[in-house]
Amino acid sequence: MKGGWNWIWKGSSIALLAYVILRGFSTPLQPGLVSATPSQLTLEEHTLTLLAVGQPFARENAQASDFELVLRSGDQLLATVLTDVQPHAATAKVRIPSTLPSRALDAFLFTPDAGTLFLGNACFVEDAAKGDIPTEFRAQAPAEAAPKLGFSFPYQPNIMESIRNLLWHVPMWFAMFFIMGLGFVASLAQLRTDSVKWDLRAEAAVRTGVIFGLLGLTTGSLWARWTWGAWWVSDPQLNGALVTVLLYSGYLILRAALGEDDRVGRLAAVYNVFAFVMLVILLMVLPRYTESLHPGKDGNPGFNSYDLDNSLRAVFYPAVIGWGALCYWMYTLRLRMNRIAYSLLSR
Amino acid sequence: MAATQHTLRTAATIARMEWRLEWRQGHQLAAVGLFAVASVYVAFQASDQRTSASAWTAMLWLVHLFSGFTAIGRLFDRERSQVRRYLQWTAAPLGLMLGKLFHAVITTTALTGIVLGAFVLFLGWPVGIESPGKPGLLILGAWLGGLSMTTTLVFVSAVASQVRGGSGALGAVLGLPLLIPQLILATRLSRGALGDEPWTMLVEYPLFLGALGAGTATIACILFPYIWRE
Amino acid sequence: MHALLLLNSLEGFFFGSGKAHVVTGVALIILAGLAFAMWRMDRRLSRLEEENANPPS
Repeated sequence: MKGGWNWIWKGSSIALLAYVILRGFSTPLQPGLVSATPSQLTLEEHTLTLLAVGQPFARENAQASDFELVLRSGDQLLATVLTDVQPHAATAKVRIPSTLPSRALDAFLFTPDAGTLFLGNACFVEDAAKGDIPTEFRAQAPAEAAPKLGFSFPYQPNIMESIRNLLWHVPMWFAMFFIMGLGFVASLAQLRTDSVKWDLRAEAAVRTGVIFGLLGLTTGSLWARWTWGAWWVSDPQLNGALVTVLLYSGYLILRAALGEDDRVGRLAAVYNVFAFVMLVILLMVLPRYTESLHPGKDGNPGFNSYDLDNSLRAVFYPAVIGWGALCYWMYTLRLRMNRIAYSLLSR
Repeated sequence: MAATQHTLRTAATIARMEWRLEWRQGHQLAAVGLFAVASVYVAFQASDQRTSASAWTAMLWLVHLFSGFTAIGRLFDRERSQVRRYLQWTAAPLGLMLGKLFHAVITTTALTGIVLGAFVLFLGWPVGIESPGKPGLLILGAWLGGLSMTTTLVFVSAVASQVRGGSGALGAVLGLPLLIPQLILATRLSRGALGDEPWTMLVEYPLFLGALGAGTATIACILFPYIWRE
Repeated sequence: MHALLLLNSLEGFFFGSGKAHVVTGVALIILAGLAFAMWRMDRRLSRLEEENANPPS
């Protein structure tokens, strides 16, 4: 059967994406501390409440004695007494000494099942003098229990549940790079051979790539609204992405303006080669040398650990393959349309 | 060897031709200069003579951008169609491109002087700035920013000129998105040059601008023969 | 959980209240629709290609 393999990979891409959607939206997030109240402390006894998101770090009626909370100031540990533990909250009493190595306190919550939860700069002590923590206030680092969490996504501060967008946003850009690279090769071949069959390929590739670029921009904008607080920020990576999409829209406009001109293939190929070189400069070279908020570049450790996490990898790689295959399928559909249209027009 | 000579000779001839056209007809640069000065005057009137540093640089680069479009946007539409046909048959494409690029560089240099001069003359310096912290860097940035815009515009206008019955609008539509990165770098550099950051903090901007300009010029030269072939 | 609802809307509302299932369902329906549309287009193109290769007349 001729079309057998064809339907297998097309079906697999859809199946992979279905798996990604199911897994991506149902996998729980690992617990992570988000806030401590009050965050401004004075030199007296306080009742500190820590809130967590993700899956619960404690069972409904957990014993506070199984947990331990210590605060770190500089390189010294400050003891606390846990009074109450809820699935998503822990309450502790803490006495602040008059001397601290650092005014910023980091919180470590040691749990029996969920590992150690960390909250950097959990609270500040404005009026503490600089000095060592007195011995009676000090804590020993408790023994760390290995987390028993099962299949779950890693907790990242600020990103939290929106880490699932990684399965949409990043593969969409990968797919766009892939298909634009295909278009670039097709355009180079078009310039070498001046044959229309490569032009049909290039046009199909760019048209598909623009769709995926727009999807990447949309998902990125949603993510930016959630993590950075604005729909759009001025950032080298984002500027480059926007310019790239505009550039390739220019390609389609140029084709439309050329219309029936018999040089459309060659001129469009020239523009496409130029556009791809700009894409590489804008998205892969410039952001690396300028400061960028965007993860995956220098200066932001936000996502350096995502590729180390096995549970995320188990969904991320299928997502990359699935979106890539879907993108390629779209491209072949457009290419076949172009071919039929061309052969009908030149009959 | 002979091909290289032919290319270089073409480049020199085209540059000379453009230069002569400029003096004979004399209206091209004058028209652009008029456009630039008028735009600056509009900016001066619109800004109530008290501009912040960011508004100042924004207006500077908007005027620079549109003057650049006016000056370079129709670089390949200047010859009559017979001359164009003749050039397509005889001139080495690369030489033609080099000649046009050379002419564009001269024009942009003059334009930078006109825009920047008119700006300082009419608007003065931004509020709170007696004189720019690094005038040399400001001038260098305006010039390099202009140049890196120009090389891209040369390429775009070469493509747009091939569209039969096309107008200048296509060049603008294709060109504007391509100029965003250059403009971002250039505005940041200008804003920095007005303030009192040390110049070592800003040194990457002229480097990037120069690299972008040189890069786009190189690609334009490589691709131009394919555009120009009939 | 109420504290989380106040803390930020997505964490509490979305995953805390089971609304994530609705999102999963909608995403799957969209994917199924897209797959169906592309499959139909694929079939149609195959037919057109065949007609184009050997014209009916």
